[in-house]
Amino acid sequence: MRGRRSLLPVWFMLPASVAVTVFFVIPVFMTFVFSFTSMSSDTGILGNRYIVTEATIRELTERGVDADLVKRLGSRVFAFDQAGLAAVGKSGLKPPVVKEIEEKLAGAVFGSEKELFAALKSLKNRPRSFRDRKAVSKAVVNTIVNREFRTATGFRAGLASINVEVDDATFDRLLGLVNTSWSWTTKNYVELLASDFTLKILANTMFYVFFTLIFNVGFALVLALATFYMPSGQSKFFRAVWLIPRISPSVIYVMLWKWFTFDSGFMSYFLGTFGVAPENWLNEYPWTFVIFANGFVGASMGMIIFASAVLAIPRDVLHAAEVDGAYPWQQVRRVILPMMAWPILFVTSYQTLSLLTSFEYILLLTDGGPGFFTTETWALNAYHTALSNYYGNLRYGFGATLAVVLVVVGIALSLLYLRLFDFKALVAEPPIES
Amino acid sequence: MGDRKTNWPLTVFLLIVSAPILIMYLWLFIDSISEINVESIWPKEFTLRNWRFLVQDIPGHGSVWTATRNTTIFAASVVTIVVALSSTAGYALSRLKFPYRAQFLGFVLLLHSFPSVTLIISLFLMLRMVGLYDTLIGVILVKAALELPFGIWIMKGFYDTVPWEIEMAGLQDGASRFQVWHKLVLPQIMPGIAALAIFSFMAGWSEFVLPLILAPSSEARLLSVYLAGLMIDDYLSDFGLFKAVGLFYVVPVMIFYLFTQDKLMNIYGGGTKG
Repeated sequence: MRGRRSLLPVWFMLPASVAVTVFFVIPVFMTFVFSFTSMSSDTGILGNRYIVTEATIRELTERGVDADLVKRLGSRVFAFDQAGLAAVGKSGLKPPVVKEIEEKLAGAVFGSEKELFAALKSLKNRPRSFRDRKAVSKAVVNTIVNREFRTATGFRAGLASINVEVDDATFDRLLGLVNTSWSWTTKNYVELLASDFTLKILANTMFYVFFTLIFNVGFALVLALATFYMPSGQSKFFRAVWLIPRISPSVIYVMLWKWFTFDSGFMSYFLGTFGVAPENWLNEYPWTFVIFANGFVGASMGMIIFASAVLAIPRDVLHAAEVDGAYPWQQVRRVILPMMAWPILFVTSYQTLSLLTSFEYILLLTDGGPGFFTTETWALNAYHTALSNYYGNLRYGFGATLAVVLVVVGIALSLLYLRLFDFKALVAEPPIES
Repeated sequence: MGDRKTNWPLTVFLLIVSAPILIMYLWLFIDSISEINVESIWPKEFTLRNWRFLVQDIPGHGSVWTATRNTTIFAASVVTIVVALSSTAGYALSRLKFPYRAQFLGFVLLLHSFPSVTLIISLFLMLRMVGLYDTLIGVILVKAALELPFGIWIMKGFYDTVPWEIEMAGLQDGASRFQVWHKLVLPQIMPGIAALAIFSFMAGWSEFVLPLILAPSSEARLLSVYLAGLMIDDYLSDFGLFKAVGLFYVVPVMIFYLFTQDKLMNIYGGGTKG
């Protein structure tokens, strides 16, 4: 089987490697890159944007740019050049009007709208209404205010269109001042360390992960052991029931929790039969139901793993314990649990990582509320900061900084788990070709 | 020890703790076809009004059929990509010798346990930069790629169970490695491919966060985003409607689940959700 090297491994590995590199590995790297930028929905994400707004014009004066230049930057020039005349032709004015403008005003340039209107009034077929005159003005106006330029040459052409000529040094200075694109920065990290919210979402996250884990792993153990001591028909039924939340799309599962806890839902009805007034229980006890909803989903994974771990315990051992007169709960405590330490550790560590980083169920259930930051966890906050909030400004850079923390934790814990759960055995060399 | 007898306290206990799930899914069905009674959870009368979304669009939410078509295309594409790339890469990692194979495997395993949802911000920005933002194709590629480490790892496991003798015999008879894979090994792992296909289909069909962020507009919208959109609409507060849409959406998943429960059990044991 030796001899010439086959290219088969290359062809078999290449497509998957490319896909994983482009959409998995590079995003990991780019999360770090983005975290060192000031990218936001205000700056855009695509390189340079040169924009002069009313606000920039005021700012330029404060920054000591020559007042005359600043004034001219904000000025409007009305030019009947080729482009201007073409626009007049398309502006919907009557043909004789357009024709006379083309004949008499071609090449004319006016420094203000007033001069332009005066010139228009001198025409024989003049535009009668104010609206028509405005249409002409709109067609031939040149201005750089609120116009977006992507390149320096474009910006220079824009300046030329309003008859502003500047030397290279002034131009470069101007270019720097009107550039609204993102820049490289470490401010995100400074803000992360200084912000009060950081502590709040950190505390929320710890609370959420800790209690959900207890619920998850505890319930998984109870389920696995209880179904072990049941007739197989019943245990099959309960395991199937507990898998339903996991296989349901998250949106449906959360919708059902919302109904269950709603003021006209099951809980209110059920408690109502005991005389408790109906309430929106999710709003009253948000954390409880965030933990329940996540716990009911998470328990199934542990349940399956623990159930097969219990089955793997040698029957003789359990039998011996039974013969020695151990009650089921003594069997569980003295024999089964000690032998399950490893699966329990595995499930706990695996779920710690996925709980730390997932936000899907909280997003759907409470969206971090009710109120301000009540159930906002780290991952959810990263999502809110960068991709969806009520303030309108989406801060991609700072969101990426929050995500960097999760990525680092994710890599560190994954590596630790690989160490812990014996990786060498899984990658043994194949016997053919060796 | 044989089959056990019913332990009534235990069974009753499990019934009580499982009650929320049973009740929620039972009423998913009941409420979708009944006039909801505000006073009580017991339905007033039978109605098909909640299913009106099938024939007329809910104002401001687009067509459910567009979303269904998108979801079908999405899930089917994810299955195709994941199965095709995992069954080749899984074979290479299980059976072929090549440089850095162990490193590749370790890397796949690392990515498998790595929480991919943390990448959503940078994926969003990257798709915006290359112009794939808000397209079905962009979100398909992302979802498939994020499922790949899991798929490759599962497929490698299935290949590992195929006896080496089959391949040795094929090679002795003069077949190439490719022919051996295609003609001899693939038929052996069809159950594995089926399991991975079902799992990827369900993962694709249920996906919510990726399409929400990467393809939110109505042309590319998936059923999950459609239903979530209904639920946060302040003008609708109609659990009857939500449940009818929910049932419509969950039926394919439930059918798959009923028929393939045993196969999926194995995969979910190592699953990917919290």
